[in-house]
Amino acid sequence: MTTTELPRRRSRTGTIVLTAVAVVVGLAFVLPAVWILIGSFRPNAEILTTMSPLSWHLVIPSEVTFENYVHLLVDSGFARALLNSFVVCIASVGIGLALSAMAAYALAVYEFPGRNLIFAVIVISFMVPFEAIAIPLAQQFTDWGLGNTMIGLILPGIGNGLAIFNLRQYFMGIPQSYREAAMLDGASEPRILFSLYARLSGPALTNSALLIFLGQWTAFLWPLLIVSDNRLQLAPVALAGTFGEHAADYGQNFAGTIVLTLVPAISMFVLQRFFGRLSIGSGEK
Amino acid sequence: MASSTVSAPAAGKRRRAGRRQELGWAAIFLSPAIAALIVLRVVPTVGALSQSLYKAFPGGIIPATFHGLGNYESLFADPNFVGTIVRTLIFNVIINPLQITLALLLAVLFVQKIPAVGVWRTLVFVPVTVPIVGSCIAWGAALNPNGPINALISAIGGNPQPFLTSPNQALAGIILLASWIGIGYWMLFLISGLQAIPEELYDAAKIDRAGAIRTFFSITVPMLKRPLLFVLVADTVANFVLFVPVQLLTQGGPQNSTTLLMFDAYRTTYGYGSRNLGAAEVVILTVIMIFFVLLQFRLLREERTPR
Repeated sequence: MTTTELPRRRSRTGTIVLTAVAVVVGLAFVLPAVWILIGSFRPNAEILTTMSPLSWHLVIPSEVTFENYVHLLVDSGFARALLNSFVVCIASVGIGLALSAMAAYALAVYEFPGRNLIFAVIVISFMVPFEAIAIPLAQQFTDWGLGNTMIGLILPGIGNGLAIFNLRQYFMGIPQSYREAAMLDGASEPRILFSLYARLSGPALTNSALLIFLGQWTAFLWPLLIVSDNRLQLAPVALAGTFGEHAADYGQNFAGTIVLTLVPAISMFVLQRFFGRLSIGSGEK
Repeated sequence: MASSTVSAPAAGKRRRAGRRQELGWAAIFLSPAIAALIVLRVVPTVGALSQSLYKAFPGGIIPATFHGLGNYESLFADPNFVGTIVRTLIFNVIINPLQITLALLLAVLFVQKIPAVGVWRTLVFVPVTVPIVGSCIAWGAALNPNGPINALISAIGGNPQPFLTSPNQALAGIILLASWIGIGYWMLFLISGLQAIPEELYDAAKIDRAGAIRTFFSITVPMLKRPLLFVLVADTVANFVLFVPVQLLTQGGPQNSTTLLMFDAYRTTYGYGSRNLGAAEVVILTVIMIFFVLLQFRLLREERTPR
């Protein structure tokens, strides 16, 4: 990464002061997260007893234990909620990518009157914050019998304006001659989209998949509104539920927070490998 | 937006039959996205607008009757609701400039040549990766009257504070928590904006013997206008619909001191079972949000023209 210096030359003291500020700011931001991480690996009771008065014990555990994770995943319903979250995320990514890629292809490849208008309307309307319409939409979904269903949880995640935008930009960079060559070979339009364009667009697909995945993984308001059955609940709401019930069980809460944080990080890594490999074989001649 | 990519000779080659076929495919490929748009955006928007004009009775046995603007009238006649609107506005007038200013300062700090700058930058970004439910739990614990923040305050000789349990401090606690997440996130956009500013401008400023502060306000800020506008608008939208911390930590209390419009709409609809009033609140929230976004576009656009 290139860095822009402003201003160009600085005195030695200046550098020391700026470095000190950077270190202090960095530590201040990361400390609460470190506290959660350490708390998740220490005996639950110790989190409360080391909170006050201030001492090194706040971040130095007396022993390292996995009991919080065991309690969380075995004894509470959190494991099931995690599984639900996975199902919802994967289904949303699958359907959402197909929907976005189709729309992006139509808007990138074909020329028809009103194309730019349709593009703008789709992208802008999906960029209106979902929360603003979540309440009326949830009422509507409940009226349609989609409350307490997986479909009800999945549907709002499939429309993502940024995913369509990204994919269209990427598709427009693919030379039109590729498509014409495929057509001469007798390939149908869906085949051109799914075997040619999709194959050439690994990074854009990864990006869009991540957008959809993260949106669903961190969703809180929507599952709260649409699901009342605990067996169908998603991980963030389930975690919030354990927070409310026994407020003193910080160990489990912290462990749940760490699990919820790590899953997207790991998925990101996996997705990048998966789609990264797909795009390797696509070198232009 | 983006222009067409079809090159002229390629377009010329195409037969008319192919054209019609293409239109058909375009319609087929676009239909899922348009169906999703209608079901997920148009229907709830129209639904909220029409619901807000009706009055229903709890239980739903008697059909809802047309109420005109009655729901809006009763909302604005309710001092609690007016208080919620004022509180939401104050909250946004404070939190957005606060987050953007700090994000900008940190962005400028983290593009300086200092040792291990990437590490310190990453540390500030870490909170963004924690899901908001987790952040709320952590800060709920940290701001507990017997928690580590008060331990820190006591250790440096201050008096312990009530934080989320006090009507005077709870909203500040929400702002602290939201900024812990938001600053690092918006900072990233501003850093990439800063890195796009051509070096030569800074060289020129140096030749003109402009000081650091002068350089910041006459080069950095004007050149950063586009990313700043984006960040400001996106942050404002995000904060107008901020919901999780209020729902999880304070439930709008104590004494309604953290009741923001988004939470109020939720509570009216689900807590009090008043679907029509809730719909009216959603409409009001959306209108206020759009107004602020347009205002920001306007202000930042106009500032650019005299240059």
